Amino acid sequence: MFVSERMATSLITVVPQTTLAEAKALMDREKIRHLPVVDEKGKLLGIVSDRDMRDAQPSSLLQKEEYDRVFAKVMQHKVADIMTKDPLTISVYYTLQDTLLVMRQRKVGALPVIDEEGCLKGIMSTRDLLNAFVNVMGIGEPGTLLCILVKEQSGQMKKIVDIITEENVSLGSVMVARYWDKDKRAVFPYLMTNNVVRIKEKLVQQGFELIDPMTWYLKQLPGDKQ
Amino acid sequence: MKKTGFVYDKRYRMHTTFNGHPECSYRLDAILDGLRESGLLEKLLPVVAEPAQQRWIEAVHNIKYIVRFEEACLMGLPDFDHPDNSICRETYDIALLAAGGVLKAIDAMMEGKIDNAFCAVRPPGHHAETDKAMGFCYFNNVAIGARYLQQQWGIKKVGIIDFDVHHGNGTQQIFENDDTVFYYSIHEHPSFAYPGTGREFETGSARGTGYTLNTPILPGRGDMDYRKKLTTDMVPAIKKFEPEVVLLSAGFDAHSADLMSGINLTTEGYKFVSETIINIVNKYAGGRVISVLEGGYNLDVLPVLVADHIRMLAEL
Repeated sequence: MFVSERMATSLITVVPQTTLAEAKALMDREKIRHLPVVDEKGKLLGIVSDRDMRDAQPSSLLQKEEYDRVFAKVMQHKVADIMTKDPLTISVYYTLQDTLLVMRQRKVGALPVIDEEGCLKGIMSTRDLLNAFVNVMGIGEPGTLLCILVKEQSGQMKKIVDIITEENVSLGSVMVARYWDKDKRAVFPYLMTNNVVRIKEKLVQQGFELIDPMTWYLKQLPGDKQ
Repeated sequence: MKKTGFVYDKRYRMHTTFNGHPECSYRLDAILDGLRESGLLEKLLPVVAEPAQQRWIEAVHNIKYIVRFEEACLMGLPDFDHPDNSICRETYDIALLAAGGVLKAIDAMMEGKIDNAFCAVRPPGHHAETDKAMGFCYFNNVAIGARYLQQQWGIKKVGIIDFDVHHGNGTQQIFENDDTVFYYSIHEHPSFAYPGTGREFETGSARGTGYTLNTPILPGRGDMDYRKKLTTDMVPAIKKFEPEVVLLSAGFDAHSADLMSGINLTTEGYKFVSETIINIVNKYAGGRVISVLEGGYNLDVLPVLVADHIRMLAEL
């Protein structure tokens, strides 16, 4: 669950002397929105986003001649002129959870990942993070979600896992809703199988309640309580 | 009353799955017993199944996959591609016979011997992709039928309607770039049910964009949403596509008594599904429809639902 396992490592970078024209062509060609700026040793100096690039361009409301003239002039500038210096970075030892929380708090779309020397090792975008969570939830692969209501007491999860194990079914993920009905928790195992009949039967035999999430949802709607 | 063909071969029982597996030969026993007891069986025209020729399997599946599947069976492996897909030495031959049963039903209908047909075949097919077995399926019977209709019978536009409770990912994958086969599926929402595909935004790609339509139904919404969505989603889509022939992936596992899903469709709800589909097939495809068994695992309910479905086909 470390960013080093999930970040993009085939990096496209520029140096401070790169012109905006070169940088723009690179971003267009590679379809990337963040361009790290590094020195000759690979040390991260800054980052240029597509937003920085757009801010530097002339207004699209200008007359074409005027636009072209200003555009040509702007494009001769160096990325050092527009890059965000000392950008927010994360280390290769950050976990996915750290990254999720920092991206949410600082409202950034991508984070450069650096080592102890400040050298660029990778880049972690919201898209990489989404892919990581699809992987963690197991939902990129076929499976079935069970919704089980359990009493709040120890040993419940073990019983559930034992039943799943007895049936030789692989677990994609388990999500737990800690607050469901009073004194109850809801457990959502994602099982990598189509064959859930026996597991459901065994769960019911052992006293678990299988819930229909929609019935529960409708019960919670205001003004619809019975 | 219509001339309804019935495909069944006792060898379909020879594809044996591990003890306790829901996709078992008892399913067909239950269906046959039900049809016999209700007196329906004698009103149907038997269609004799033959193994499909390999070239028709190859019209859908990758040759390497076909060989890999045959080898797994010959080697006596317990399963193929996933522990769900339980196999025995005979599975490969029986899978050919299942697809071949559908092709024979197509022949009989296209030759005018029957009006429509129900194929009580197994193993089922709609999860099987070009080169992957999934969800108890090895050869995609309905997809092979669609290609056969096009290549052997010169049919240009084939409609596939899939009302198994699970999304037919295989059928979707096989035809996703194709604008000559329209795939419609109504199923339990992929966040809850196997195989986790079939969302509303999956509508085909490249030339096939707009020729796939998915209706995911949230758990427990059963009859109410099926009635609404079949009317608002499926009917206009089939009307617009104007298929010459319709193939059904007929799954009976959305029933409230079937533990395989949480949709809670009732026996009456299933009648509505069959009736709505057969009405539009009569209206837009000249009544030409071949219905092919997919899922349905509750052995008490399955024969009732199949009998109701066949009554609708035969207009009894």
